[in-house]
Amino acid sequence: MHEIVRKEFSGYYSGLRAEDLEVPDMPQREFAFLQFGGEVMIRHMKFLDPSSLKEYIVENTPAHIYHSSAYYKMPEATDMSEKGWLGADLVFDVDSDHIRTKCKERHDRWRCMECGRDGTGFPPESCPNCGMKKIDTRTWICEDCLEAAKKEVINIIDEYLVPDFGVSGSDFEVFFSGHRGYHIHVRGQTFRMLSGDGRREIADYVRGIGLDIRSHGFRETKNGILIGPDMKDGGWRGRVARAVYEFVNRASLEDLKEAVAPSVAKSLFENKEKFLKSIASDPPYWGGLKGYTLESLEKLAIASIKDLICNIDERVTIDSKRLIRCPNSLHGKSGLRTLRVDYSGIDNFDPLKEAVAFRQGSIRIYVKESPRVRIGDEELGPLKDKTLEVPLALGLYLICRGAAEPR
Amino acid sequence: MSLMLTKEDLAKYPFLKQSAAYVESMQLDLGDLAAEEYSGILRKALTRIKDSIDRNIRPVDLSDPESEIISYPLSLALVYGSKSNWLINRFATIEAKRVEEELRSEPGDKILEIAKSGFSWDIEPANLKLEWEELSFSIPLQPYLEAASGFNDPHWKLINRYVKGGRVFLNTGSLARLISEGFKVKIIRRASERELHNFRIPDALAPYLDEILGYAQENMQFDEELPKGLVSDARPPCIVAIMEDVKAGKSLSHMARFALTTFMVNVGESVDEVLKLFGNVADFDEGKARYQIEHIAGLIGSRTKYKPPKCDVLRSFGLCVGMDEFCRDAKHPLNYYRRKLKRMSGSGGKTGARDRKKGV
Repeated sequence: MHEIVRKEFSGYYSGLRAEDLEVPDMPQREFAFLQFGGEVMIRHMKFLDPSSLKEYIVENTPAHIYHSSAYYKMPEATDMSEKGWLGADLVFDVDSDHIRTKCKERHDRWRCMECGRDGTGFPPESCPNCGMKKIDTRTWICEDCLEAAKKEVINIIDEYLVPDFGVSGSDFEVFFSGHRGYHIHVRGQTFRMLSGDGRREIADYVRGIGLDIRSHGFRETKNGILIGPDMKDGGWRGRVARAVYEFVNRASLEDLKEAVAPSVAKSLFENKEKFLKSIASDPPYWGGLKGYTLESLEKLAIASIKDLICNIDERVTIDSKRLIRCPNSLHGKSGLRTLRVDYSGIDNFDPLKEAVAFRQGSIRIYVKESPRVRIGDEELGPLKDKTLEVPLALGLYLICRGAAEPR
Repeated sequence: MSLMLTKEDLAKYPFLKQSAAYVESMQLDLGDLAAEEYSGILRKALTRIKDSIDRNIRPVDLSDPESEIISYPLSLALVYGSKSNWLINRFATIEAKRVEEELRSEPGDKILEIAKSGFSWDIEPANLKLEWEELSFSIPLQPYLEAASGFNDPHWKLINRYVKGGRVFLNTGSLARLISEGFKVKIIRRASERELHNFRIPDALAPYLDEILGYAQENMQFDEELPKGLVSDARPPCIVAIMEDVKAGKSLSHMARFALTTFMVNVGESVDEVLKLFGNVADFDEGKARYQIEHIAGLIGSRTKYKPPKCDVLRSFGLCVGMDEFCRDAKHPLNYYRRKLKRMSGSGGKTGARDRKKGV
């Protein structure tokens, strides 16, 4: 990495107030660092307070700074089994890379490393040409991706954490990661001691994995009457009922045909009003349509919940010993800050503006290739093979992304 | 108002705080129990262990609750003293099943009392009337997840529960099941605690431990020995599906490769046999694959033989292709394989025979 980036990072950290690096229960956390150009993580560090952490950072200027989601008796022990695990925050990682947004067609590219086939947009799981899974990607972020990630964060919190898991506003914090998305840290006692298995259940819960609608009250009685949950019910029980209501309400005949057999879709579409009225009645009634069975209901439910399930990187949530970015540290691949977001104001939060760390100065760069990019109020691109003077934050961003070089 | 738990209850539910307190109040030394005057208790303890080995679920004898109460810690000491994980697991499983049966005839308020005394679970009565069932209790997420992680039926997955405000709502039967599972986990977890590592049964009881071990031997061998080499018909559906992908030459995800390799290695296939399996895969690199398989088999590197991932993990990675009747009782692909093999050999057909060549 270029010396200029290191120098600017160093300047940023020197000017930072030590308390901005505060992490709850600091002495029980492991800290880890990745140096510029380094491949090996410096791990098992312990800091008793933010000032000693700041001192270390200013002296060494790492490219990435992490702390453990876990609390340890001895965070400095090098053997994981000797650390003495005392619990961990529950973390949700929402990464715009995992969300299929339309804007990816504009700024993302992939290439099969085997046969050379390439394309734009969300990368395929395996190459459509040769079937291999070695796909190289060149991904960028834009306002639309980050907006989609933000919506996901709101969905996790408002739809799951608060109503179902009983998490209160003081128990969680939201961070912009400094690059592609957001992290939600849930603290407090509810989840702290959860094992990996328990965390997996939480991840599966928000991802809609393993949902069995029969467990949620959908039944066929002996005389063939379909009964089911009430939209007012808690947890997934009511969620499924509401999702089916909303889905059927706005579905076209085609949408329904994609979900259930054509004849059922037709009857459902023609009797939409009646169906919606009876599933919203008290008690709800889920049957009464010709050819409509528990199986069709199951298919309908699966189609309905698609927009409700959360795109998270489940590995992060399941891991009870994850390393996560420190608040107010810089992301070495963007030069942006990992920033705490006030959840009550998240709707108006503009990460590409508020996480800018370098607000003054400019830099002359040579841009190899870049899609349209915005950092702060400055926009650039798409452009290729060009040398120009840009605001420092934008220049560092392109350099950190590997798309530009200082000139 | 707290319900009075009787001596009979203490005998039935040995995990209650009051049961432990009762035993403590007797101030007995483990070695003393070999004495003639306690022979009745010793006999009860031995029967209790042998019953578990035979999978015999028998309600406790309420004609003499005192000796029943004391026989439990004695049988537990013998089981821990055996240092056999197989026996510890078997004893815990059967004791838990017995408790579940006993709980079935208890009224709801007593079950609540038992759950509160036996575990530090913050259970609350609830009054949630749904369409066709009544959820009478709620329990916080953490203890629920801890106790229910042992269950494989999809019904127990958190996503399939009534969850609200950080609590999981349960009917009486589910709470009883959760208590018995909590009891089982308690027995098993205790065995790995440090103080038990150096635990040795007093000399006076040693002959009885030998008696137990001799009794258990036959069953242990039957449970732990697998035929060497893959028995195709006993494969779980997830492994069958991965093998079909391999056969079709599809490229596999890392987790699918890992699951298949660990499974094959654990059912006793050789590195060469496993290599042959992958021969069809498009991005196959024999040298690299051999190295990885040898690593997984524990032949090189850390010398740890890796086990396949649990069903939960496979499910999260989208490798579970749906359940069959054996899946319902298994939470691990090897567990499935073992059970199915047992069933196949039990049915007396020829299907139990080895068929290595047909495996792929």
